[in-house]
Amino acid sequence: MIAQEVLNEWYPVAMAAQIRAGQRRVTQLLGQPITVELQKGAIVVTGQGGALHVTEAYGHVWACPGTPAHDLFPIPEALEPCRRLVDVGVVRVKCSPLRAVENFLDIAHFPFVHTDVLGAEPHTEVNRYEVQIREDSDEVWATKVTFYQPQAAKSAEGGIVTQYMYRVAAPTAAVLYKTCPNRTDAWDVIGIFVQPLTEELCDVWPWMALYDDVTPQAELIAFQQMIFLQDRSILENQIPRLLPLDPGMEIPTQADLTSIAYRRWLKKRGLTYGAQMVAA
Amino acid sequence: MIQLYDYVLSASCYKVRLMAALVGVKMDLEAVDFHPGRAHKSVEFAQLNPAGTLPVMVDGDMILTESTAMLVYLAKRAGPQWLGPDDAKSAAQVQQWLAFSGRLAASLGMARLHDMLLYKGDIDAWRAQGHAALRELEAALTERRFAGGEWLVGDTPSIADIACFPNAALSQDGGVSLDAYPSVRLWTRRIRALDRFIEMPGIHRLHELSPTPKVA
Amino acid sequence: MTPRWTATGLSQDLPKGVVMAGHWQGHDLAVWRSATGRLQAWNDRCPHRGMRLSHGFVRGETLACIYHGWVYGAEGGCKHIPAHPALTPPATITVTAFACVEQDGVIWVAPADMAGSPPAVSGVQPLRSVSLTCDLAAVLAVEPALLGQDILRGTVQIDGQGHDVCLLVQNNPAGLTLHALCGVRANKVAASHWVENLRRRAEMKVAA
Repeated sequence: MIAQEVLNEWYPVAMAAQIRAGQRRVTQLLGQPITVELQKGAIVVTGQGGALHVTEAYGHVWACPGTPAHDLFPIPEALEPCRRLVDVGVVRVKCSPLRAVENFLDIAHFPFVHTDVLGAEPHTEVNRYEVQIREDSDEVWATKVTFYQPQAAKSAEGGIVTQYMYRVAAPTAAVLYKTCPNRTDAWDVIGIFVQPLTEELCDVWPWMALYDDVTPQAELIAFQQMIFLQDRSILENQIPRLLPLDPGMEIPTQADLTSIAYRRWLKKRGLTYGAQMVAA
Repeated sequence: MIQLYDYVLSASCYKVRLMAALVGVKMDLEAVDFHPGRAHKSVEFAQLNPAGTLPVMVDGDMILTESTAMLVYLAKRAGPQWLGPDDAKSAAQVQQWLAFSGRLAASLGMARLHDMLLYKGDIDAWRAQGHAALRELEAALTERRFAGGEWLVGDTPSIADIACFPNAALSQDGGVSLDAYPSVRLWTRRIRALDRFIEMPGIHRLHELSPTPKVA
Repeated sequence: MTPRWTATGLSQDLPKGVVMAGHWQGHDLAVWRSATGRLQAWNDRCPHRGMRLSHGFVRGETLACIYHGWVYGAEGGCKHIPAHPALTPPATITVTAFACVEQDGVIWVAPADMAGSPPAVSGVQPLRSVSLTCDLAAVLAVEPALLGQDILRGTVQIDGQGHDVCLLVQNNPAGLTLHALCGVRANKVAASHWVENLRRRAEMKVAA
């Protein structure tokens, strides 16, 4: 039995361009079979009980199997005319959808998993940053995050101290804002949209809204796929597969403030699909 | 300069990038939107390679579309010791492993594309064929170890090792664990420890090779 | 199940500076050998974020997790957290250690409080470890010369001659593993072929 709180959220289920091009996607959402397809020019998501609520945003199709508790979260940057919007494509991972989001919020792994790209020894220290659950939007935010990066983006030349902001916008969707190597007055925006197929299996759709009018599209996609596939071999080897919400099960440090807040936020809102409540 | 039409997650493309790095050849990498764009199946790409496969190597008027041929080309040009010993038996064994690497790609490689990028097909059959191929690789490497050998052919690493390495090392991406193949595991470590080795996503850096950073 | 020593690998497959996955009666282990040769077996899980330590890396006398580089030293205590280089990790951050003993070229594991030594397997040399998709009954059915339960032993025909073989049984979550040892006078390549043939016969018996 899946909690109503879980059913009333929005989840990514397809890349909109692929459905608009006539592809039909037969997939799963929260353990139930669904189909995403074009019918008379409109994208329709059908489950066993009929049509699901659908919206299209940030290059992807989003579905809500219950009654939407709210609109899909906004990403105002996606509407800025000069940004390159990049659909990175789906990657399947044998892990809890919540573990995939939590890993996206983590910086301490950069030197060991994204070596010489997003981090490198000896620059392993995570400085104190700020985390809050914003009451107005009911989102988790981490701000004033900084980290030394050898190659922060495809367009970066040499190492820089990168600034980050992280934002959990939905139970299985998060967005980060990071220093844009080409502009001092704007952030690059990278999203991770996670489709929970089951509690231990997910389809992950990375997405980007960048200021970069030089790098070919295929290289931007390749860079982000490289980063995420480095994470995949970690995510498939965490035990247990479910995200433990019992504080005694795993040991966080100050560097994990975002993850701690995410776990609390999930627990408080009853968004426990893909989570383990008590130590097994 | 040699041009390589490349995809970052392709084991076959990585095979060529790795060989080039090991023999010190710089290539011009042309990223192809294999996923999600399927640009390798486009009409434009078919003019280059009608088979619609990656990688493709272009050097002057030469176009190669088989990764093992690219290994031969790079080794012959910049590192002939990577071709393996010159005697008839060794030369034949190298060819045997180059062909065998195709079996790894057709089994473990397909299982990986299934589990990772949602390719459709018989996953159980791919994994079973992958295990069968790994058993052969394990047996061969184990017998080489009995004789004090560390590589598939000869006393030094060769294109035979590089051809078989990527799909073996990435097997877990397709749900096939290397836990049951100790000789394969140690051999992949030896390749990862080679001077000028480069990694790809799914094959982590051997951090033990770099020194422990001084703690402030 | 009564705790007992289980063979989880052969010494030859775990050189200095290497970590591998091991198992003890359903528990996943990270088995590793330090730079000076010290052997240890730990619960295969970093207490920080649950990552398998068998994917980690050995530096000197420590094992580090591949995810965030947390460093663990003797007896499983956390020595260093790279995200907080100046912090001395609390003594409460530890990985559960198992007993791990090397004897006759075999790596044996048991719970930390296990008394006594692993069984001796003398007169044979380590050959290789193989995994099988069939169960032990199928192995015993195709090779009646092998006797025993956890340690199969018998004289079998290798290259037309009778040779002593010893198969150490390990039941893993993924299936059956046999750690094979053979008489010191047996040709190792021929003995290896015999092991493969035994596996083939046992698995085909199940398939049929």
